[in-house]
Amino acid sequence: MKKKGGIGTYILLTLISIYCVFPFLWMLISSLKPLDEIRTKVPHFVINHPTFTNFTKVLFDAGFTKYIRNSLIVSVAACLLSLLIAVCAGYVFSRYFRLRVVKYSNFFMLVSQMIPGVLLLIPLYLTMKMFGILESYLSLILAYTTFVIPLCTFMMSSFFDTVPIALEEAAELDGYNKLQTLFKIILPISIPSLISTALYAFINAWNEFMFGYVFISSEDYRTLTPAIMLFKGANTVDWGSLMAASVIAIVPVTLIFLLLQRYFLAGLSNGSVKG
Amino acid sequence: MDNSKKVRRFGFLRTRKQREISFSVGMLLPALIFLAALIGYPLVKVIHDAFYNVNLLTSTSAGFAGLGNFRKVIADPNFYPALRHTIVWTLVSVVGEYVLGLGSAILLNKKVKGRAFFRMAIFIPWLVPIIVAGMTWSWMLNPDYGVINYFLTHLGIIKEPINFLGDTHYALGTTIFVNIWRSFPYYTISLLAALQAIPDDLYEAASIDGAGKFNQFLHVTLPQLRSVSLVIVFIHLIWTSINFDFIWVLTQGGPNYATETLPLMIYRYSMQKFDVGAASSLSTMMLLGMSLLFVFYYKFKSKISEETIS
Repeated sequence: MKKKGGIGTYILLTLISIYCVFPFLWMLISSLKPLDEIRTKVPHFVINHPTFTNFTKVLFDAGFTKYIRNSLIVSVAACLLSLLIAVCAGYVFSRYFRLRVVKYSNFFMLVSQMIPGVLLLIPLYLTMKMFGILESYLSLILAYTTFVIPLCTFMMSSFFDTVPIALEEAAELDGYNKLQTLFKIILPISIPSLISTALYAFINAWNEFMFGYVFISSEDYRTLTPAIMLFKGANTVDWGSLMAASVIAIVPVTLIFLLLQRYFLAGLSNGSVKG
Repeated sequence: MDNSKKVRRFGFLRTRKQREISFSVGMLLPALIFLAALIGYPLVKVIHDAFYNVNLLTSTSAGFAGLGNFRKVIADPNFYPALRHTIVWTLVSVVGEYVLGLGSAILLNKKVKGRAFFRMAIFIPWLVPIIVAGMTWSWMLNPDYGVINYFLTHLGIIKEPINFLGDTHYALGTTIFVNIWRSFPYYTISLLAALQAIPDDLYEAASIDGAGKFNQFLHVTLPQLRSVSLVIVFIHLIWTSINFDFIWVLTQGGPNYATETLPLMIYRYSMQKFDVGAASSLSTMMLLGMSLLFVFYYKFKSKISEETIS
């Protein structure tokens, strides 16, 4: 019997929601304000002369269209790559967990999940330098993929646990080999968990800051998050444009999330509880 | 006849098992290569470099340094303040996130209209890039034009605008506050899932036994949340203590090192002073600390699962 929420519940929930959402509202309002309305002692919610100059300035003068493209390339590539790897590894984790080699790999993955990127920053930087892939999409794609592999694998494997083995036995009788079974029989019914895993990988790559900041110094390959940081360094006072850049950076993740939140939340709690 | 059948069956089993092993290895290989190359190898390298004189610019001068790097780091006048900041930053953040996360999860677990809306609103901070969260809050906290200082002075809570991120007294507290804002939704979602999994008859039994609301919470809800709580608190102790982005975006460790934590020190050693040896020894110390944390976590976890079974 769930208790019905009283008026107090609603008030508290509203307060918490305001706390969570207000910064975005303020970001949006500020991004649409002209400069003289930004720099006033008394901030207003109503914009007298709404304008898109901040957006056009950021997008075309500050080169953010390029940064958005870079971020998209890196995030989509990292997302697809980690999905493919996680599907293969997750399937084995789910079906052959008794094998010793699988057990060891599982442990290895659990441990790697615990090791934070910042502690490995220097050797990663040097490794990328050694392979000559600093200043390229590849360095970021590889780094982002690696650090989401463990969680994505756990998310996929806990989904595969729920797929009945009978399905595979039937496919085997029909003469499918294991790979065919996985890709032709199991994956088509796994769309929801594929979506949630892919979303996690995409959002993680899209939001990442440190590797993008350290590995890339040329503008040609710079991604969105370091670009915002550097833009701030160069224009400390131009808050309108900074807020416009921030709005641009959160549009894709927010849209994706609003459309697909059901999948995302379920997958996330599966993966984290298991990991 | 009997014998041959047996042999055939065993032979079949063996090849089947071999097939399974080779299939598994093949499927795991991409993941293992990635992890070995980009986590395993760098990990070994960090621990190795901690004991050598390595410089990013002149990478040839790699003499054995013994514990020299560790001594250098510990003797750094910023080390103890940074250690203290890291501990305060981590503990206060995690406690605040847990309290707020649990509170909001309990509220969301009640029968409320528009639960989907509230859940979405609460989850949004966790989705956005840390850089955006940091940028927006720096703007709102701005001493000259910031909306928060305006509200606070207008409501008479403070007399003068406060430079929240630029004043050594407030900077660390402010970064913690912003970090809690961004991280607590993850607790909400995990704890909400766990709350929804608690069977109703536990509450019924407790209320038949005469337990009031508070006692039900204490003796039914909290114990049921123990293992989820352990996992998320442990993950966040690590995620928070090693967080670089948030503080870098908000204050870059300033003003006057008031928000400098150990990950920022690692960054400074490696990317500003190019002293890979010192950075690696600090990383190694943090890894050691995390391993200790992991041992505690593991002990707690096995204790909890033992108690649940018995």
